[in-house]
Amino acid sequence: MNHRAVVAGFKQQKIQFFSDPQWIIPSLVSPFLFTMVMLFLYGDDVDGPIVLQAVLGGGVLGMWANTLFASSFTISYDRMNGTLESIMVAPSSIYSILIGRSLWSTAIGLVNAVVVFVIAEVMFDADLTLANPVLFFVMLILTLFSLASVGMLIATAFIRTRMGRVLSTIAEYPIYVLSGALVPITVLPEGLRVFSYVLAPAWGIDAVKRAAIDGCESMFGVSMAVDVALLLALSSLLLAVAYVVTRRVERRMLETGSATRY
Amino acid sequence: MNGPEHAIVVEDLVRTFKSFMSGSPEKVAVGGISFEVKKGEIFGILGPNGAGKTTTIKMLSGLLTPTSGKAMVLGMDVSDEKSVRSLRRRINIVAGGERGLYYRLSGRQNLEFFSDLYGIPKKEQKTLINGLLELVDLADAAEVKVENYSRGMKQRIHIARALINSPEILYLDEPTIGLDPEISRGIRGLVRKLSDGGATVILTTHYMFEAEELCDHMIIVSHGKVVGRGTVIEIKDSIADVSCIKVVTEADPAVAVAALRAEGLEAGVDALLNGRFVTKFAARKGDDALGSYEGLFAPFRVKSIGIEEPTLEDAYLTLVGGDAE
Ligand SMILES: Nc1ncnc2c1ncn2[C@@H]1O[C@H](COP(=O)(O)OP(=O)(O)OP(=O)(O)O)[C@@H](O)[C@H]1O
Ligand SMILES: [Mg+2]
Repeated sequence: MNHRAVVAGFKQQKIQFFSDPQWIIPSLVSPFLFTMVMLFLYGDDVDGPIVLQAVLGGGVLGMWANTLFASSFTISYDRMNGTLESIMVAPSSIYSILIGRSLWSTAIGLVNAVVVFVIAEVMFDADLTLANPVLFFVMLILTLFSLASVGMLIATAFIRTRMGRVLSTIAEYPIYVLSGALVPITVLPEGLRVFSYVLAPAWGIDAVKRAAIDGCESMFGVSMAVDVALLLALSSLLLAVAYVVTRRVERRMLETGSATRY
Repeated sequence: MNGPEHAIVVEDLVRTFKSFMSGSPEKVAVGGISFEVKKGEIFGILGPNGAGKTTTIKMLSGLLTPTSGKAMVLGMDVSDEKSVRSLRRRINIVAGGERGLYYRLSGRQNLEFFSDLYGIPKKEQKTLINGLLELVDLADAAEVKVENYSRGMKQRIHIARALINSPEILYLDEPTIGLDPEISRGIRGLVRKLSDGGATVILTTHYMFEAEELCDHMIIVSHGKVVGRGTVIEIKDSIADVSCIKVVTEADPAVAVAALRAEGLEAGVDALLNGRFVTKFAARKGDDALGSYEGLFAPFRVKSIGIEEPTLEDAYLTLVGGDAE
């Protein structure tokens, strides 16, 4: 890894983020709509753990949407622009650049979560007292890290295809469900739950909910330490896989000459 | 022949591509070419569309793995992944015309991004980028987003991008295509300046005068094979057994031209505004050139007939056209 390339990727993503209004949809509009719907569904009962759960769900969805949106398109954008070749001819690895871009998207994910909270507080006057604010914040950051690692894997898996956006749109809703952001995964059939176990952010979401809500049970039935340990282990694994995939894909592109085709 | 005076040595380099249609044979983009480029020279690769020029310079810049054969660039083998990684610091490429830049970033931000990728020390970065912006005459437009640049500006910021690592070898794929004459001249001046500064430049072009003006040596490729090589003078001499005959007539000599083509000669007719027709063709020397052709054109009322010195274009057309493949 090369820290200059990481910083370059981060800065570039930031500039593009602000100059291209399409990010508003995944970053602000969809979590906003989701939270609104949830709060309307709960109607008058705008208090207590259920509301907090709904708001957390909205926040996490925003972070997911943002990660999927940004990472699935990041290299397609370079391919479309013809910049994939310019970055391939440079000595830094694409992996470092992608890390930088993911970090930016992750930071925006945090903004999302905050926006959803503020909306709930201000517009619905919901009681959003956190059981353990410090722990909540730490777990939120860890969850963001795990989301970034999923984003990295998605980004690298999509380097060679032009269909990144399409595929990620298809994957979007299943991922929301499987990660436990929408409903506790305990309501899912056993067979599907296996997918949740390998999604690193699911463990983070589990921990975040428990730090926020007093007496909230783990959806996996584990202690918070296990949540954190599994989150870190799975995220590192995802990052390692993403690294190997990037290297292979880079080599394949040199062999097939596919970096220029659009 | 792989001495230190050579920047590039290419031996029997081949690149094939899988055919778009399954089942049909592989497409041979470069079919075994060999050449050498001396350090510090401007080297031209000329050839018609699809000849394999871009494929060749991509292989030489480590963007495409050769199928077979060997290419040593600055003493490093482009088929070897490790060498390619160290080679990347020492070369750069401008290909792709208008594409290849971040449109939503300004010219300066683009250069900053790429200088980060090359690990240019932070304290040198600003001076370097300002210098490059001056060099390509974009200092005034540095803060403007590239999406607002004209084609000529995009091409110049591209060149600045490719100079960010002070490459020892710079590959330029059709650097003046689609640019107006003044901008093109500016870019040719820049290429000359870089070469004077010690860089080796490999250039592909479709413009004969550009090759003639810039290139110390060149190869002409057609269907992935080298069909001509040398200096401009050597290439012109290589078709010295051919004379270029120019005939001006009052009527359209279509029938005569068809007769020439039937004999396998390259012949072209231009209608002039004043109603005359100029026919040019290459004839073998020694077949009493003028005498026999004057008769052929007589029915079309010959105003003048004469032999011209072959131009690079004549040589190019003869070499490329004569390639039977
Ligand atoms: N990635 C690829 N996959 C399949 N075929 C390819 C690929 N790249 C090039 N080719 C084919 O190889 C041949 C040579 O292409 P190349 O781009 O090198 O030609 P060129 O000399 O640069 O032409 P031009 O003057 O039009 O730029 C062409 O027939 C082209 O279709
Ligand atoms: Mg080309």
